[in-house]
Amino acid sequence: MARDLRVVTCSAPVNIAVIKYWGKRDEVLILPVNSSLSVTLNQTQLRAITSVATSKSFTRDRMWLNGQEEDINHPRLQNALREIRKLARQEEGDHFHICSENNFPTAAGLASSAAGYACLVYSLSRLLQVDSELSAIARQGSGSACRSMYGGFVKWEKGDRPDGRDSIAVQVATETHWPEMHALILVVNAGKKIVSSTVGMETTVHTSQLLKYRSEHVVPHRMVQMEKAIKERNFEEFAKITMQDSNQFHAVCLDTDPPIFYLNDISKRIIQLITIYNSFDGNIKAAYTFDAGPNAVLYTLSSQVSQLLALVSHFFPPDHTSESPFVIGLSQTTPVIDKKLAEQFQVEPIPGSLKYIIHTKVGGGPCQLNDPKQCLLNGDGLPNRELHHTSPM
Amino acid sequence: MARDLRVVTCSAPVNIAVIKYWGKRDEVLILPVNSSLSVTLNQTQLRAITSVATSKSFTRDRMWLNGQEEDINHPRLQNALREIRKLARQEEGDHFHICSENNFPTAAGLASSAAGYACLVYSLSRLLQVDSELSAIARQGSGSACRSMYGGFVKWEKGDRPDGRDSIAVQVATETHWPEMHALILVVNAGKKIVSSTVGMETTVHTSQLLKYRSEHVVPHRMVQMEKAIKERNFEEFAKITMQDSNQFHAVCLDTDPPIFYLNDISKRIIQLITIYNSFDGNIKAAYTFDAGPNAVLYTLSSQVSQLLALVSHFFPPDHTSESPFVIGLSQTTPVIDKKLAEQFQVEPIPGSLKYIIHTKVCCCHVNNQPLPSPWMT
Repeated sequence: MARDLRVVTCSAPVNIAVIKYWGKRDEVLILPVNSSLSVTLNQTQLRAITSVATSKSFTRDRMWLNGQEEDINHPRLQNALREIRKLARQEEGDHFHICSENNFPTAAGLASSAAGYACLVYSLSRLLQVDSELSAIARQGSGSACRSMYGGFVKWEKGDRPDGRDSIAVQVATETHWPEMHALILVVNAGKKIVSSTVGMETTVHTSQLLKYRSEHVVPHRMVQMEKAIKERNFEEFAKITMQDSNQFHAVCLDTDPPIFYLNDISKRIIQLITIYNSFDGNIKAAYTFDAGPNAVLYTLSSQVSQLLALVSHFFPPDHTSESPFVIGLSQTTPVIDKKLAEQFQVEPIPGSLKYIIHTKVGGGPCQLNDPKQCLLNGDGLPNRELHHTSPM
Repeated sequence: MARDLRVVTCSAPVNIAVIKYWGKRDEVLILPVNSSLSVTLNQTQLRAITSVATSKSFTRDRMWLNGQEEDINHPRLQNALREIRKLARQEEGDHFHICSENNFPTAAGLASSAAGYACLVYSLSRLLQVDSELSAIARQGSGSACRSMYGGFVKWEKGDRPDGRDSIAVQVATETHWPEMHALILVVNAGKKIVSSTVGMETTVHTSQLLKYRSEHVVPHRMVQMEKAIKERNFEEFAKITMQDSNQFHAVCLDTDPPIFYLNDISKRIIQLITIYNSFDGNIKAAYTFDAGPNAVLYTLSSQVSQLLALVSHFFPPDHTSESPFVIGLSQTTPVIDKKLAEQFQVEPIPGSLKYIIHTKVCCCHVNNQPLPSPWMT
């Protein structure tokens, strides 16, 4: 039992970009070639939980992720630890034990490093009682982690300084500004190993002429338009820019040498479904966006989410042999599709394309958890195995 | 029997672009936003044949394509007929009967309108004895048809004039300049209906910010590099630019609103196969390129084509139920794959992805040991 053990447990969210980060101008400090903007998702459905402890009895820093001990010497991890220690002007010798878990599978490709690093940095800041700009530190763990330092709608300003001190996250609107903003995460059956974001974006920076034009001439204007759309709660504008930027991101991936393919035939069909859906009534009702992986995120307003969920479940139903829940989160069942609506699409359902669907909505930023039952570390500062979660809530 | 019947029959080739045409600055005159460059393929494997006849007994223009009568009032057809008549200063009243056939299926998506319009224009020019710049007329039938007016390696200069008179095809190198240049056309099993080039490129022009940059800042430089690579017979350079341009073309299609997808999962696997293949020995041995459809064209030199064909046939073998020939053209059989080479790829074969493979090359066909110009008159 470590008598001087101090522990803090926090929770941090996932964020999904609507204007994409792809490409660094500085690999060490993780400074991007363009700004980006994301929606922070509700932590009830998706979150990273991290407990951080310190005690003079600890002989070295240690870290566990989803029950498994990790290599503490990972450069990104060291960056984050070093920077927070600097901020705290921490005495030499105080080591940390860090235990982190996601309530969603890492293999689902759901941007877990953003939530994870944001949680790590936030937890350490609470433990060391540091009250300061933290997003730049999270950024050095994983670029998009800086956007998980706030709730609602968040931009990551690319900054101009070589030292990166102005490359930080800024909240564009709070989580209560547009509570009707819902999201459906379509988790696709994992295919072959994909190109990692870090490697992929570096290759794009070095080989794509279109990326340079995108970052200098397209994104700055889109950032302004998107911020305006959010402030005005203009879903049509929000959706158009979101879809265009997702497509342009994948376009520069294709313009890479060798080309990077994150979209697959199922992604294509999802895009076509949403395109057709939006063409009805001349009313844009949903926006798709795809990151560096096959999962789709569909943004829609609460008034439309039931119909959208029905549509997606109808055209991408679960495999008939699957027994696990298909829809989880804010919805637990599949609404029934309107038959007349379904007929207008003139496409056939493709069973088994999706593993499951998570229904969530815009949510808040990192927070401290004061319930001792949620602490992931025991009295010795070691992982408390009984609290492992391996499936989503 | 029409006593004054005069008939001319000609043959014209298919061309496959290595620097892509995608986007018009003038929809009526078919003027492109950037220049493009292609390889003209051997007519023994792929060609359009057109017979054109004229007689005072003909009461109206008529056209048949692959055995079916077509609507002669199609605007593109009318453009080509009008322009060739202007050139010929043809008397009023002489009508044409035009009959055209391809020796490859239209459904194979093999750029048949380029060969077809080139053949039409060339045949009419021989019939009317017009000796003049013809590619601008072919261009008005179908943009890329202008590049089928020449053999070997051909560029379509975008031109700057609003009237399009400088938007013509120019031969970069003849068909005998680089006879080692072979091509494998991988004909994919036809999927769903795709977006037509004409509609697609117009949507891209109107909605893609990346296209503007491509046409103004990327293509002009690539055209210079490509021309140099061809003149120097530098396959590595030729291949790199070809693959990059194919990818960039598909990238701007994706940057379109709504996005256009011509590449499918099989296309992706073909790209990955060639990428891995090229990474061995640090030696670029093949180039892929994809047009507005799922078919792949692989360029390689004659010294490599057997190995490439073996590789492609191994990883994309025919469906076991298929009885039609799988490899046609210059090769008729599938070379056996080197097992050690195959193992290095660490991917599984996917049977039934390809309908068949056409092996062809750039050199023109020979008749009586004499090379023929492309297109040519029988």
